[in-house]
Amino acid sequence: MNFDENMLRSVIEEVLKEMGAASTAPAAKAAPAPSTLQAGEMTLADTGEAAKGVAPDEVVIGLAPAFGVYQHETIIHQPHSKVLREIIAGIEEEGMKWRLIRVFRTSDVSFIAHDAAEYSGSGIGIGIQSKGTTVIHQKDLPPLSNLELFSQAPLIEMDTFRQIGKNAAKYAKGEAPTPVTVRNDQMARPTYQAIAALLHIKETEHCDRDKKPQAVTVSFK
Amino acid sequence: MKSKRFEALAARPVNQDGYVQEWPEVGLIAMNSPFDPKPSIKIEGGRIVEMDGKTRADFDMLDTFIADHAIRLGNAEKAMAMDSLDIARKIVDINVSRDEILDITLSVTPAKLTEIVGKLTIVEIMMGMTKMRARLMPANQCHVTNVKDNPVQIAADAAEAAVRGFAEMETTVGIARYAPFNAMALFVGAQAGRPGIMTQCALEEATELQLGMRGFTTYAETISVYGTEPVFMDGDDTPYSKAFLASCYASRGLKMRFTSGTGSEVQMGYAEGKSMLYLEARCLAVTKGAGVQGTQNGSVSCVGVPAGVPGGIRAIAAENLIAMLLDLESTTSNDQTFTHSDLRRVARSVPQLFSGTDYICSGYSATPNYDNMFAGSNWDADDYDDWNIIQRDMRIDGGLQPVKEDDVIKARNKAARALQGMFRELGLPPITDEEVEAATYARGSEDMPNRNVNEDLKAIEDMMARKVTGVDFVKALDRAGFPDVAQNIYNMLRQKVAGDYLHTASIFDKDFHVYSGVNAPNDYHGPMTGYQLSEERWEQIKNIPNAIRPEDI
Amino acid sequence: MDQELLMKQIVEQVMAAMNKGAASAPSTSAGGRMSAANYPLAEKEADKIKTPTGKPFNSLSYEKVLSGELTSDDMRIAPETLEYQAQVAESVNREAFAGNLRRAAELIAVPDERLLEIYNALRPYRSTKQELIDIANELDGKYGAKTAAGLVREAAEVYEKRDRLKKF
Repeated sequence: MNFDENMLRSVIEEVLKEMGAASTAPAAKAAPAPSTLQAGEMTLADTGEAAKGVAPDEVVIGLAPAFGVYQHETIIHQPHSKVLREIIAGIEEEGMKWRLIRVFRTSDVSFIAHDAAEYSGSGIGIGIQSKGTTVIHQKDLPPLSNLELFSQAPLIEMDTFRQIGKNAAKYAKGEAPTPVTVRNDQMARPTYQAIAALLHIKETEHCDRDKKPQAVTVSFK
Repeated sequence: MKSKRFEALAARPVNQDGYVQEWPEVGLIAMNSPFDPKPSIKIEGGRIVEMDGKTRADFDMLDTFIADHAIRLGNAEKAMAMDSLDIARKIVDINVSRDEILDITLSVTPAKLTEIVGKLTIVEIMMGMTKMRARLMPANQCHVTNVKDNPVQIAADAAEAAVRGFAEMETTVGIARYAPFNAMALFVGAQAGRPGIMTQCALEEATELQLGMRGFTTYAETISVYGTEPVFMDGDDTPYSKAFLASCYASRGLKMRFTSGTGSEVQMGYAEGKSMLYLEARCLAVTKGAGVQGTQNGSVSCVGVPAGVPGGIRAIAAENLIAMLLDLESTTSNDQTFTHSDLRRVARSVPQLFSGTDYICSGYSATPNYDNMFAGSNWDADDYDDWNIIQRDMRIDGGLQPVKEDDVIKARNKAARALQGMFRELGLPPITDEEVEAATYARGSEDMPNRNVNEDLKAIEDMMARKVTGVDFVKALDRAGFPDVAQNIYNMLRQKVAGDYLHTASIFDKDFHVYSGVNAPNDYHGPMTGYQLSEERWEQIKNIPNAIRPEDI
Repeated sequence: MDQELLMKQIVEQVMAAMNKGAASAPSTSAGGRMSAANYPLAEKEADKIKTPTGKPFNSLSYEKVLSGELTSDDMRIAPETLEYQAQVAESVNREAFAGNLRRAAELIAVPDERLLEIYNALRPYRSTKQELIDIANELDGKYGAKTAAGLVREAAEVYEKRDRLKKF
């Protein structure tokens, strides 16, 4: 419980500060600075407009606007650098290539994944939000449908991210992998929904409707 | 020193829930926000040129749609000029009829609706619900899902839920590609349990329509609308595409309702600094303007957001009331987990359960919550007896009734066997006798053997390519030796030809007689009017198997 | 399941009360319009309902489905039936809903696949203005779907104004 309240408070304060509305801030007591950020473990750089791929052996990973830049960990404090590394490792284990794009026009994970699929030579993409919600998508499916959806971000552990990478790669190879076991916890909502809303508001602030997907390079330290 | 009492309180379930303080600037406020627009309307040349403080030039897409389609212009200026407090008082006045209220509320703007219900206490909101819901008698809807997407279990759980009294059933998927199996299992299971139950499968919009067209479902509900334009876009629709979609459903003889709820705009990042309730009033106006018969609302999957702020649960009841004030079928959520506290979850359902709504839950989980693929419901299969006894305690009709174990086992077994036979006749991957046995006695998917998921998914792809339809279910069930279940499926398909159940707040009884706001309108106007429990129904509700009978002592 | 019984009782009472009221007012107007008194049509006006393939509602049967005489193309609603239902809706002051039913009646002729395509084309950022206008003309010209076409034209204007047309 303490964890939630502190987390909430710090997020609220941060947003308020950014909005310059601190005077109307809900009575924030001791203000713990957000200390768990792990920005230093990965560098992401935009390198201009992304190209649509033609290589049939690639999976494109679409990052939400704030992923790894303005936010650095998922809702359960998984560092984005590790998350990305796991997904990539999963793809590489299957002998496939990967490419990163960042989607700006929306912060909706289904659209991000669908954009990634459209830019992917194999037609398979992965979309990931800063809070950790992830989708495996295929370009000829409707945007709000999916191949596999991991909608409950608080339940996505590191091994799941690797599995997501592996399965996406398998779809790209034309295989029919057994979908990653879906997890369900009805208590995730009462514990996390309000926090998820705040994290999503923060993600959405970095959207730009007129900006096409950008190519992204990553270096891990 | 630490207080032992505070230590005990801190460990209570209610303190594991997340709460936030109001933050009106970003819309993190349930209702009565200082930033909500003031109600206004100006009509020139038969057209609204100003609404809720905005002129037409400043209208966004929702404003335009609402102004052009959602408000009855004839009476609008008069209704808007009335004092909101007066209107609020009429809502709780038994001497003012439902029709008189609708004359006013169908002619006002979203800001006015928000202002009116903002004057009501929770008890007054409940009085309003009792009078304003569309159908005379309340009913209930359940979710039938499981974490393995096991179709045999879905059929068995649906049959049990049918015996327990649900009038509508909804399924969804863990893996999207499983949808056709889930939909057909639900259809067969429901019709095996009690003829006339309507079934749906919640999916991406176009996919959901496709299943309906193919006769896998008989109605649809997951047609989401949102209260701000950017969130509407993230939902991949516009008021115009949604209105078109509504007509697509009706053109295929399929009942449908829209879905919306407080908190979704905050959740999705664009609340535009308005209260959750005002934005929901906009959703409901869009629903009305699209010409849809009803709505599923009451925060629904975003319930954690209003539940986290002060007055949030009152706002949820208020949004249900606004739906009724717009003469929409009200399917009132109570379908999503929002708290660790059993006390809070009962209190949250009191307004709809005690007042009665067209569908009290739009998803009472017919499985234990670990199998609920809508991320958990406020009520689940383990609460069946609690629900029944609350009905008995309060002498209310929550749509369910106590059942005998033997009846439930029989129904579950029949549904599982019917699906087994239908799968065989349609050339789908076999359902084993072991699966049938497990589904008959299961509490949830932990008791079910695993199916070969890949084989199922391949068979589904093939089945959809073969253009299998509901008509094929009828033939397959007949061949498999389940002519009664086949007849029920046929009768549901036949209803699509007549379209009676397209109307507001429809349900079928076991003889396929339809009851809706047309032939069973709510006529409540004070004590001993409106829906009254009959002696037979009361007998059914009060006779729980575990009550001691005086004559036995 | 005695709830059914109960419902029937109540409905009978309500219907009796409504019929009393209806006795003074004509149940169908001079033009033979349907009203709440004719509802449910499947029970009270079955002889007026046909399938879009022209088969009388009363002739539909389970046996004919088994024999293959009836197919899924027969188990659909016809435009005339939706018009009747729209009239019923109007008789209980649900004119917005009646409008939807009339728009739906126009769309019955549009094949499933095309209907899904048009719906998808109406979603945000999917179409140019000209593409939407072409769809409206198709609905109008090919299917006589005037109201539906009007809705699409309206959308084309609003999408342009609100920058929701196809971008890239």
